[in-house]
Amino acid sequence: MVLNKLSDLRGIVAGSTKKKLILAAAQDQHSLGAVLKAWKENIVEPILVGDTESIQSICSSSNYDITGLRIIHEPDLVKAVEMSVRMVSSKQADVLMKGMVGTSILLKSVLNKDWGLRTGNLLSHFALFEVDTYHKVIAVTDVAMNISPNLKDKISIVNNSVSCLLRLGYKIPKVAVLGAVEMVNENMEATLDAALLSKMNQRDQIKNCIIDGPLAFDNAVSLESARHKGIKSEVAGDTDLLLMPDIEVGNVLYKSLVFFAKAKVASIILGASAPIVLTSRSDSEQAKFDSIMLAAASCK
Amino acid sequence: MIRNLDQLVDTVISNGKTYRIAVSWAQDQNTVGAIYRAVNEGFVSAIMIGNPTEIIRTCSNENIDSGKFEIVEAPDASTASSMAVGMVRKGEADIVMKGLVGTDVFLKAVMDKDKGIMKQGAVLSYVGAIQVTDYDKLLFITDPAVIPYPDLAQKTAMLEYAISMARRLGINAPKIALIAASEKSGKHFSSSGDYNMLREKAANGDFGNCIIDGPLDLFLACDRESVEIKGIKTPVNGDADILLFPSLEACNPFYKALMLFAGGEIGGLIMGTEKPVIVMSRSESPKSKFYCIAMACTML
Repeated sequence: MVLNKLSDLRGIVAGSTKKKLILAAAQDQHSLGAVLKAWKENIVEPILVGDTESIQSICSSSNYDITGLRIIHEPDLVKAVEMSVRMVSSKQADVLMKGMVGTSILLKSVLNKDWGLRTGNLLSHFALFEVDTYHKVIAVTDVAMNISPNLKDKISIVNNSVSCLLRLGYKIPKVAVLGAVEMVNENMEATLDAALLSKMNQRDQIKNCIIDGPLAFDNAVSLESARHKGIKSEVAGDTDLLLMPDIEVGNVLYKSLVFFAKAKVASIILGASAPIVLTSRSDSEQAKFDSIMLAAASCK
Repeated sequence: MIRNLDQLVDTVISNGKTYRIAVSWAQDQNTVGAIYRAVNEGFVSAIMIGNPTEIIRTCSNENIDSGKFEIVEAPDASTASSMAVGMVRKGEADIVMKGLVGTDVFLKAVMDKDKGIMKQGAVLSYVGAIQVTDYDKLLFITDPAVIPYPDLAQKTAMLEYAISMARRLGINAPKIALIAASEKSGKHFSSSGDYNMLREKAANGDFGNCIIDGPLDLFLACDRESVEIKGIKTPVNGDADILLFPSLEACNPFYKALMLFAGGEIGGLIMGTEKPVIVMSRSESPKSKFYCIAMACTML
């Protein structure tokens, strides 16, 4: 199966036991709205870790009813994050979400050798986009975490993403490795990496997916464009996952899809022992809610 | 000030002039269609260079009256390209356009030291004016097609070309955004140094009347709301006319995402030449091909 809409995630969530989500440093207006919406709609069972007084005052001024919700009082930001991460690593919760705390503090805890969420895999950002102009949801990685991944990093990023897609119910996701051109060009490293990834996939060194690349954006998402160019590919025009060459390209593409193509987006961090929701202030409440749904749906 | 590509066409038509286009290896259905439309609108006369039988057959397949074109015989694509470029050199044509010939073969004729039409010592690059729903004016982008990793001299030329195109369309003090993944300058971002230099050049008046800022991410460049939310002071203020990208890798998927997912159209040209040069990819929409022709006429 494939996801046609982000709302299809709801069905996956409903078919499984309800997941517990910890909001670390929960005194955050922006995340609380989305978390409480997800709670009311039975997507997750939230646990709020943070300054109880601030949490309550935000909730009462926004008319959020939090009767019956578990709140753990920890006013110190760093301690709140540590407590949250420890609860996830000891399996008391399934999903970690960032509240009113800097990304670097959260990631430092996540990567703690003794009680963090390390798995030995690279952490990577994974985003699902829904645009009216594509026939299904398209996953894009990595637009936010790894600045300029080398071949080894790209293999980890693909593996993280493919595992996630399999958990969402995909059978054998089609992966397009993005290039500015579809020919391998010895001066453009991204095209060399793309060719290597494709070959490694053929040789079963990267499993459970079909990789093709380099593919320019139009060939990855439009069969007609690929035909014009005479490209024979199982992936062209039907891409499930688009691998970015680096963050510069990924960031521009992500923002053009959101701003110009009015895409709906859900995103999580992969590679830790649990999915992490790490949305930014500029994300809409819908994007935050959809990201929570994606995290819950992608739990093992 | 011209705000969209139909307005550009109207302006060219209202000039009342007829521009002569020499098309290299013209037996190409896509090219023939766009040229025919421009001829019918009355602003273009076309010299189709190639295999006359093939040209006439292509026209009749497309229900186009080949009698509207001057047809000139050439034995092969490379010769056709040299002939088309030669006609522009001799003043027998105003614009040269690529037909069914490969871009590299065509550009070789354009760039030929003795018989080509490059400006002395000029950088060859590409500027496109993109029209997209939800942006209230044209966005000039560079470079989605030619220079993979522009250095400072190339970025300077790209910027000058984009400014010249914008000014030709009545945007006298264009707002220029130097695009990156984030507004924070830093060592991890390879174009930081070049962007500083470009801002300095602009401050020295090298680019004439313009407003420039960067690095900026796409949101800060094009979305006033994001500028407000982030609380960043930037003179471009979410209202950019020109986007300079750090690489072809970033610009190419941006342009293609806008075309395919956001209903975009483009009117773009090769820059750095004595006379306008049109190179269009086969997968361009028929409308965009027509707009490219109108853009070439505008630059004369």
